Amino acid sequence: MRVKVDASKCQGHARCWTWAPNLFHLNDEGYLDPGDIDVPENEELNARRAVKGCPERALTLEE
Amino acid sequence: MRAVAHPIPDHVPETLVGQFNLFTAPGMTPTPMGDPHAAIGMLLSGPPIFFAPGNTRNGEGTWVVVRAEDQRHVLQDGVTFSSNRNIFSSALGEDWPMIPLEIDPPAHGHWRSLLNPLLSPRRVMHLEPIVRQRAVDLIEGIKAKGTSCDVMQDFCFPFAVSIFLQFLGIGWERLHEFVDWANDLLHGTPAERTAAAHTIVAFLDDLRDLRRQEPTDDFMTFVTQAEIEGRPLTDLEVRGMAVLLFIAGLDTVAAAIGFDLYYLAQNIEQQNSLRAEPDRILLAAEEMLRAFPTVTPVRRATRDVEIHSVLIRAGDLIACPSMTANRDPKEFSDPDQIILDREDNRHVAFAYGPHRCLGSHLARREIVIGLEEWLARIPEFHIKSGSTPMTHGGFVFGVENLMLDWSAKEAN
Ligand code: HEM
Ligand code: SF4
Repeated sequence: MRVKVDASKCQGHARCWTWAPNLFHLNDEGYLDPGDIDVPENEELNARRAVKGCPERALTLEE
Repeated sequence: MRAVAHPIPDHVPETLVGQFNLFTAPGMTPTPMGDPHAAIGMLLSGPPIFFAPGNTRNGEGTWVVVRAEDQRHVLQDGVTFSSNRNIFSSALGEDWPMIPLEIDPPAHGHWRSLLNPLLSPRRVMHLEPIVRQRAVDLIEGIKAKGTSCDVMQDFCFPFAVSIFLQFLGIGWERLHEFVDWANDLLHGTPAERTAAAHTIVAFLDDLRDLRRQEPTDDFMTFVTQAEIEGRPLTDLEVRGMAVLLFIAGLDTVAAAIGFDLYYLAQNIEQQNSLRAEPDRILLAAEEMLRAFPTVTPVRRATRDVEIHSVLIRAGDLIACPSMTANRDPKEFSDPDQIILDREDNRHVAFAYGPHRCLGSHLARREIVIGLEEWLARIPEFHIKSGSTPMTHGGFVFGVENLMLDWSAKEAN
């Protein structure tokens, strides 16, 4: 599973980080940097929640 | 007293003129035991966009965009939909923006780069102990005085103000003075509002000048020493930021905690379940932010543009109430049900787009900590019999006079 990140849409709500702090690294200004994220199996549930939690629709799931 | 509604502009079709208005519609005026979120939720059964005459303090009408997806489209596009309105300064007969709210992209981004680190999720974690201490001090003070209180005046409002003072590096001993100013500014008569606005601006200007001379380790020192695009900030820019922080984080936080306690006082089973399982407060607070959001962002169109084939002319105002987006059935299942364990919850209480609430991470901690400490320290509470809470609409929804009583449980 991968999470596709559209960093231009990220506005730093940090909802992804709340669900999965180990997957989503916010930079000093609080935004996600560009770059898709590989999801290890044990984080799949949290990754799904993170994607569904992003108000800006900056994240999409690729299974 | 409110300003007279401006005439409806000629390009607005008569069929799209609505009855609703954030200030005067049923449920928006001060209402005993009101439910303003249900009242405005009625808009979801109407057209996705309509015109609301007199929908601002100065009487100007606005378009209202009802649905979440359309609001996202408006709020993500800060170039077409500008927030440069100078509302605070124009009320004083002056002309300077509140920063970053009234600055448009791309300049807006420089301000956010400067300010975001101050209120990042990680920074907020460091503020946590002091936020908790303020909550505990206030609640223990209330308990020492009896088994009932007006939770808005005794807890929600001073709690929010005390965090702001902490941020500005001002001592706790000035709390009551600030609470009075904030009350006048946000809830006073027009004359009180103007007087309070002048007082607050003068205070913040003095503090700025003091910190320029005697730097310490606080927000004001940081902004007086900061640079934007390679130059120091002007006096008016520092003022524009400080005033916005004052306004943005007081009523909003107080109202959020107020609506939550109002709900929990009327839903005892939910109240007791959160008290018994405080780990659930984190998700519950998100659900209550969804169900009881308070803010309506407003934008001005910078060019002619269509939404749902409706022509918006350059210069028109557009309001995006978070309350309707958060109860949009296209976005949430059972939107009118309050489901405290709801997981899929990309609500819009803190807006969408570049102006996403700068204080959202702090606000979330304040709400969660406020609820945790209140529920841990105050036994089962109810609305005090004989008292009548009042709710109101407007640009920031709120609860007034929320008298809570826990004498029955205390006696056991
Ligand atoms: C539950 C509490 C709060 C709610 C519901 C809330 C809501 C909002 C909303 C909806 C906006 C967007 C306004 C717009 O786009 O027109 C906003 C912006 C803002 N908020 Fe909050 N807010 C809260 C607490 C706070 C706190 C505690 C602070 C300060 C520490 C704060 C500081 C700001 C600032 C500076 C902006 C402007 C951001 C920008 O324009 O880039 N807010 N807030
Ligand atoms: S939830 Fe979305 S907007 Fe928020 S930080 Fe994550 S990617 Fe960015």
